[in-house]
Amino acid sequence: MNDIIQLNLAQFALIYLLLIVVLAIMKKCKINQTRLLLVASLRMTVQLVLAGLILTYMFENPHPVFTVAYIVLMTGFAIHMVLRRNRGLNLRFQLIAGMSLAASGIAVVCFFIMAVVGVSIFNPQYTIPISGMILGNALTGVSLGLKAFTESIAAHRPRIDALINMGVTPHKILRPFVNSALETALLPTLNSMLGMGIISLPGMMTGQILSGTLPMTAIFYQIAIIIAISTVSCLAVFCSLFFGYRTLYNERCQIVG
Amino acid sequence: MTLFTLKNINYLDILQYPDLAIPADKTTFLCGESGTGKSTLLRLCNGTLTPTSGEVAYSGKPIETYNPCLLRREVLLVGQSVYLFDLSIADNFKEYYTYRDLPAPDAETMRVYLDICAAPFALDSMCNTLSGGERQRVFLAIHLSLRPKVLLLDEPSSALDEKTAETLIGNVKAYCASERISLVIVSHDKGLAAMYADDIIILGGAEA
Repeated sequence: MNDIIQLNLAQFALIYLLLIVVLAIMKKCKINQTRLLLVASLRMTVQLVLAGLILTYMFENPHPVFTVAYIVLMTGFAIHMVLRRNRGLNLRFQLIAGMSLAASGIAVVCFFIMAVVGVSIFNPQYTIPISGMILGNALTGVSLGLKAFTESIAAHRPRIDALINMGVTPHKILRPFVNSALETALLPTLNSMLGMGIISLPGMMTGQILSGTLPMTAIFYQIAIIIAISTVSCLAVFCSLFFGYRTLYNERCQIVG
Repeated sequence: MTLFTLKNINYLDILQYPDLAIPADKTTFLCGESGTGKSTLLRLCNGTLTPTSGEVAYSGKPIETYNPCLLRREVLLVGQSVYLFDLSIADNFKEYYTYRDLPAPDAETMRVYLDICAAPFALDSMCNTLSGGERQRVFLAIHLSLRPKVLLLDEPSSALDEKTAETLIGNVKAYCASERISLVIVSHDKGLAAMYADDIIILGGAEA
């Protein structure tokens, strides 16, 4: 296999010409989002260049502290995103969701890097991209799961009230909501596995093949990451909801929301 | 014999109740304007709300000394918001009985309670096709069939016409009297209260 062709800056700049096509179409259809297109393209460029510079520096000066700091930042950001998308959770529920996300994410990353790949967890070349993918998917899963859970609780308030009044334990009333929210959060990941390799060549694999990795190696990595992603979504959503729903009632079996 | 006694009850500083006693084995109506805390009072009595201060006693013992779920099975509240599963009437009985860990009643038993509640519908009727008033009566029939010791009804006739309301309350009162079930009814319908109450408690009036 050949190594990937390095893009020189002049050639690379050509890709921005494609945006003129987008601009032209937007003008033609009177979509007044020119500003958004410019800002988004610019931000994307700047953020990725920055990430590239930081990663270059970290790969040249590998130090466990950098790797750990990167993961901690990523985890913190993921938790922040989950909580921002799910306002209205009580404080204990927020804490539990954050801890579930962090613990499941880090556990799966450690297993992947140390047991499956077999390198040190402090090796930034493996740990950073892998934990990015794993935490990103945990974030999506937990967000979706919490949203499904809180929305169905709100929609089924009369049912919950009727059962509480009937002397059914809150545990028994709320568990079905936990189970169905978990299912909602898992389905996208499971469904995406069905089409994989046929209608989509996943990004990680594409990237590895472009940079010269043998396709079979790329595929093993891809399979491993997909399984890791399914596991982390399942684990993080399950822990968030399973420990979180108990914060919705008190020792007098009253729903406290 | 007193069923519930309330002393110095304050709920979230929004509601203050006069000291009350609700008698056992009787039909007591709770009346009063909206916002005087009639529904809240029922919820204080079945322990789904705890007063901010003051004491609620049931059968002479403070309500906190009871296991909350067991208390609610004994002091059964039929709330204002009716919930039926999108299933047949028979399956709704079964679903609620399953939640209560009870074996489902037979068709004959269901019939009896539906008849008491003026809801003589076929057991296989789907509940999502019933009207609001019909659903309210089916909901009540399921609760009545659980045979509590105390039945708390929150506006049980709110979706019913006058005649059906009278039949319903008359039947329920007769059944409760024969089974020695104490009945507490929140209603804004003074005529109904005058007709069926053994005792009427009016909230708000004097204090307001």
